[in-house]
Amino acid sequence: MDEIIYMNIESSPSFLLFIFFGTVTVITALSVIFQKNPVVSAVSLVFTFFALAGIYGIMGALFIATMQVLVYAGAIMVLVVFVLMLLSQRAETLSRYREYPIRLVILSVFIFGFFFLLYSALTTGVPHSEQTGKGYELSQYSFPIQGTAAVNAKGNVATVGASTYLDYLLPFEMISILLLVAVLGAVILAKKRNTEVEQTKDTIL
Amino acid sequence: MNPIINEIPVSYILGLAGILFSIGVLGVLIRRNIVIIFMSVELILNSVNLVFVTFSKALSHISGETVVFFVMAIAAAEAAVGLALVIAIFRHKKSTNVDELQSMRW
Repeated sequence: MDEIIYMNIESSPSFLLFIFFGTVTVITALSVIFQKNPVVSAVSLVFTFFALAGIYGIMGALFIATMQVLVYAGAIMVLVVFVLMLLSQRAETLSRYREYPIRLVILSVFIFGFFFLLYSALTTGVPHSEQTGKGYELSQYSFPIQGTAAVNAKGNVATVGASTYLDYLLPFEMISILLLVAVLGAVILAKKRNTEVEQTKDTIL
Repeated sequence: MNPIINEIPVSYILGLAGILFSIGVLGVLIRRNIVIIFMSVELILNSVNLVFVTFSKALSHISGETVVFFVMAIAAAEAAVGLALVIAIFRHKKSTNVDELQSMRW
């Protein structure tokens, strides 16, 4: 086990990518909880989610990596940042970066390199035609439907989909009902009461 | 159980998930801004997702990745309801500091 780990550190690009994305994950997660400005925390959290998507890509879970970017880094963070903008009463502090152009350039280079490495991590999990695909090799899925032959799914997305709709159909439907109830509850909770409408008609909240 | 996933030892990934979970719990404990507490809860859920994917790959069984999909859906529902609650509380208290939310009556 130890010899294998030493060999990995010397030779494997997957392992180096894992070290990079793990470091970025820990640093940005610490930044989330130690930054004073909540908007900076939210941006750090976006980078945590992107780095975790990179780790999923290295491990070959491409569907999860895509969902991580779409759902967490996209939808949930838009919701959080929108609520922060509604609630924030702090002074604007981001424009300080115009006074430090070197810091801005370094930050831009870092972000560009980060997304290039994210692209590398995602393509690490994608199979090439001449070698055994890393996203494919563990993903064979077969489920015997009653009285028929087994369903064979190849590839990460098809396998996760087959597992969702064959093994986990009832939890899937329950999740849809849960989301419906959550959306209705959010609308009811955030709605203004009738008595407040006249007082706060021309303010945002 | 396969101890190495794509040349990464499983113990390293589990260690990263543990660190991430600890950071999330620390954030819930030390911060007073309620939106940042929500972000810390998202960190905790993400560390759990990482463990699910790791064991799904290590055990060569796809159910772990399916469960991650469900965890993401529940996190989205939690964020929608929780942030609506934050807005409703902010409208009454004019504050997002949890130290000032001492009573359940409005």
